Amino acid sequence: MNILDRISSIDRRIIFLLVALAVIIPLLIPLGLPVDVSKPVRDVYDMVDSLPERAIVVVSCDYDPGSEAELTPATVAILEHCFRKNLRVYLMGLWPPGPELGNLALEAVAPKYERVYGVDYINIGYRPGGPVMLVSLGRDVADLVRADYAGVPIDSFPLGRAVKSARDIDLVVTLSAGDPGVLHWIIYFSARYGTRIAAATTAIMAPQQYPYLSSGQLVGLLGGLKGAAEYETLVETTGRATAGMDSQSIVHLLLVIFIIMGNIILLYEKRRR
Amino acid sequence: MKQTLPLIIVFAFGFFVIIAFFIPLGAFQSASQTFETWYTGVLAFFVFIGIFNIVKVNANKIQRRLSDWQYSIILLLFLILMMGAGFIGGPEGGLFNYLFEHMQIPLGATMFSLLAFFVASAAFRAFRARTPEATLLLIAAVIVMIGRVPIGYYIWRGFPGVVEWIMNVPNTAAKRGILFGADLGLISMALRVLLGIERSYMGRGGE
Repeated sequence: MNILDRISSIDRRIIFLLVALAVIIPLLIPLGLPVDVSKPVRDVYDMVDSLPERAIVVVSCDYDPGSEAELTPATVAILEHCFRKNLRVYLMGLWPPGPELGNLALEAVAPKYERVYGVDYINIGYRPGGPVMLVSLGRDVADLVRADYAGVPIDSFPLGRAVKSARDIDLVVTLSAGDPGVLHWIIYFSARYGTRIAAATTAIMAPQQYPYLSSGQLVGLLGGLKGAAEYETLVETTGRATAGMDSQSIVHLLLVIFIIMGNIILLYEKRRR
Repeated sequence: MKQTLPLIIVFAFGFFVIIAFFIPLGAFQSASQTFETWYTGVLAFFVFIGIFNIVKVNANKIQRRLSDWQYSIILLLFLILMMGAGFIGGPEGGLFNYLFEHMQIPLGATMFSLLAFFVASAAFRAFRARTPEATLLLIAAVIVMIGRVPIGYYIWRGFPGVVEWIMNVPNTAAKRGILFGADLGLISMALRVLLGIERSYMGRGGE
């Protein structure tokens, strides 16, 4: 049995072990690889940066714990930028655990900038109903949102009273892991009320958003952990996304090596036949 | 009547909402808003149906000792525990937050991260250039995989630019074609439902 035969019958547990090592070692010994910034990420940054002080940004956490590792770093980086620019954040979620995850990000970022709940930011919680709810929300927020995520009447907060309809919203940033998510915000909110939409999605969803980027229906896009790392670079913070880039680089390189090895074995087997 | 009444409701409400979309008159918009509020109200009942269903299926599994019935006990226990913690302490309650932060988040992230291991195994065994189309797909995938991470930029500064081109041109063109096809299908399906031609949503009663 030569080396190619041995590799072709490799135990998959060895592959799993190599992947685990490729993730763990760069986390323990960072390589400090440079993070380039792509145009879709820079467009989101420029859009947030161009908003006037006290503008209202809806941050919609449309994800669950399965995508937390990819999307929470993006949520934190966006909040960091919003609070630094003195923008007001109206947090919500189309997925039940989304606002809870968003709350953890708010608790991590808001105290750094001494932002006050109800004045500078608010969490209105999970909003069920997907597309129908978005149409309704854009038309009359008060009809749909009576309380924040903790059940406190929305009218008791200055920011709660400030948002009456889509006209009061300057930008929506959706952090999306599937349906309902970015597509619903574009079709049922932006198309109807003209509100600008920016998105951060899981890496697997990012290619699907490019038609909306080129048509201008999305102002920009943060794709996966890399997108979050690019945003962290722009806001000059080193968060979980930047820390994870070395691991992701090595794992991607390992996958490419696996693909090349698999195809060398395919050629070898064809010749042998 | 069992079939006719749902058909009339679907036809009347469906077409009204479509018409209201194009007519900005106050009365139309107000009625449309009312229907949308009803819809979100109806959605709340789905939660009860979902809970009822999950309890029924898992209780049956435990009772009949079907395969992996022990997991059903854990599922029902945590369903009750999480619901209880939420009802008693609210979303800011200590136990609810503790369970969410220290159990649901790590468990969800663990399940999702397992994909990396299966993708690696599949990359080695299944991602092979057997046909010209598969070769093209494979080359594009390798460029995107390398170009989307910092090591690609480190190897060659032009990699991210090539990735953006792949995303903006071939990917967008293919995606647009798929979207147009899917959306035309969606419109025809919606019309079939509204006009009562498609009745499978009514279950056996619609047959």
